[in-house]
Amino acid sequence: MRIGIPRAFYYHSYPKLWEYFFQRLGHDPVVSSPSTQKTLETASAHTETENCLPQKLFDGHVISLIGRVDAIFVPRIISIVKKHNCCPRFGALYDATRAVIARDVPLISIEINETAQPLTKILYRLARATLGADRQTAKLAVKESFSVMENHHRAQADQQEKQPGQRKFLLLGHPYTLRDLFIADPIIKKLKQLNVPLELMTFGNYNIKPSGILWCVFNMMQHKLQNLDPRDYAGVIHISTFNCGADSMMAERFRRLCKQKNIPYMMLMMDEHTGKATVDTRLEVFVDSLSWQRTDVAI
Amino acid sequence: MKERLAIPNLGNYTIALAAMVDGMGAQPWWSTYTDDHAMALGIAAAPESVCLPFKAHLGHFIAADDAGVENAMMVNSVGACRLNYYRGMLEDILKDMGRKIRVFGLGFDGLKPPIFRYLDPPIIPLLRCVAVGLEKVKAIDTIETQTAYTRAREINTGETSLLMECCLRELTQIKTKKDVRLFHQDLSRRFASVAIDKSRSPLRIALIGEVSLLRDRQLNQNLEQILGHQGVETKNFFLLGGEIGNTFGISMGYKKQTAKQLALIAKPYLGCEVGGHARDSVAHTINCAKAGFDAMVHVCPAGCMPEVSIRPILQRVSQDLDIPILEMSFDEHTCSLGVATRVEAFLDILKSRRQRTKIRRFA
Repeated sequence: MRIGIPRAFYYHSYPKLWEYFFQRLGHDPVVSSPSTQKTLETASAHTETENCLPQKLFDGHVISLIGRVDAIFVPRIISIVKKHNCCPRFGALYDATRAVIARDVPLISIEINETAQPLTKILYRLARATLGADRQTAKLAVKESFSVMENHHRAQADQQEKQPGQRKFLLLGHPYTLRDLFIADPIIKKLKQLNVPLELMTFGNYNIKPSGILWCVFNMMQHKLQNLDPRDYAGVIHISTFNCGADSMMAERFRRLCKQKNIPYMMLMMDEHTGKATVDTRLEVFVDSLSWQRTDVAI
Repeated sequence: MKERLAIPNLGNYTIALAAMVDGMGAQPWWSTYTDDHAMALGIAAAPESVCLPFKAHLGHFIAADDAGVENAMMVNSVGACRLNYYRGMLEDILKDMGRKIRVFGLGFDGLKPPIFRYLDPPIIPLLRCVAVGLEKVKAIDTIETQTAYTRAREINTGETSLLMECCLRELTQIKTKKDVRLFHQDLSRRFASVAIDKSRSPLRIALIGEVSLLRDRQLNQNLEQILGHQGVETKNFFLLGGEIGNTFGISMGYKKQTAKQLALIAKPYLGCEVGGHARDSVAHTINCAKAGFDAMVHVCPAGCMPEVSIRPILQRVSQDLDIPILEMSFDEHTCSLGVATRVEAFLDILKSRRQRTKIRRFA
């Protein structure tokens, strides 16, 4: 069976997991191609206008898969990390997709709720009941796909740490904005062009202490920012997307936190109309003003 | 002198909340809607993309601080919605502005909410005031439902709205449970004094969506009254009595479906809790379609996380069960004329739709 996986949201939150899992069970996973302006244009004809940018991209990816696959994999995500929750959008994701965008396409779905049940168990059940794998294969598929994901997480984290000794810029954002070609790539490219050492936020560590923030991704960011050493980091750039409700609350909190630690903080809001020139200018100004600030200190 | 306590706006129900706060040993500072001045203050101080109710609450508390109020009370929630973080952020922003007002949370924080720990009210007067408050909630529920019925049929437009104002003002002054009960019993006589045309069969429209927007008439541009004056019988699905009755398992004079029952109804379309009243909105739409309502109006603040994410589901319900839904989102730039125009256009469509179905039935 050809199973479509939209290259958005949970594809980035669980890197490599889904492809490997379906492949190991003898199916043919089809991941939609990286998002472009075209993805957004296809989506905007069908999607709800008030949705946030990543949701619009998600809808675009789903549309691009329709007709090419036998079924599309869309889970219902309630919590990714134990005792935390996700954006309310994720809970309604499966039902909302089924309602309009993919109403004539069969969907494969699971309910990811780490607080109630670990994902390994849910995946095992999916393999056994829905995809008809035998016991041994299902067990192995789950185990191996998780180790593939963990390796990938580790590789990502290593790649971010192995950088020259200069003070770095930290790029904050959701996994699905940082790893998305349409949203974060212009920013990353520009910063590389400016010769700025860069670190992307990674999300491999699920052992996080509760801190009053229930959204798991933001709790990870909060911990990262709390442990940030101003001697190692020159600044924080938070990539937010238009109409992200969670960002609207948390950006304010992170700004305060960075102010306390005396690390410059900038939020870049990306939407479907954001011109490249705007982003370029803001990044150049941010980087320039910080480099001046440092020479001042040196004198 | 007693310390003052600013309480969040919940439409006309604030009257009942104020009565309860009286028993906490603080003088309540409240209003049944967020006025223009408070809105402007809130919009100026809040981050750009937070939702409208946050801006309203912030503005309300800043205005309270200007008036010299020492404390403020804010509800807490544990859902996935932004409301979780409201209190913390309100506190941070007010502190940054150099405001002295203290914001207390209510509930989900140990056995005693912090506000009780601070004010430490004696228990018996508190319970007495809570009882008065609950009685007032019941009375307000009746006023709201009676108003919706009468306003759609009144002969002189605007009479019911005036009567409602009078009733609410009178209710504010009442201090004892017994008097509230007498007042409550008297309500049907008062509403009967409004001349109505019983032969009319007005359009029936149900209002669903986000709580603050459903109840604060400044935030929803007085949507309910606009509809009522156009001769529409509205059913607002946020009745505080029903919510309290379900949450605490006490009788509030009428029954409302519990969250569990609503979940079961919504199940074919939405299988899990989304946050806020999103799942209830889906369930109410299904119920209303079956009960023969003419249409639904779904209101939410622009960018509301739970309510916006269920909009595709509402679209589908609307197609499947053949019930029109008007989706309206409000932000600080929404103007009342725009709302009125959209509502009028929607009502025109509904009227001709009703005509068409009538003709079809006779043919």
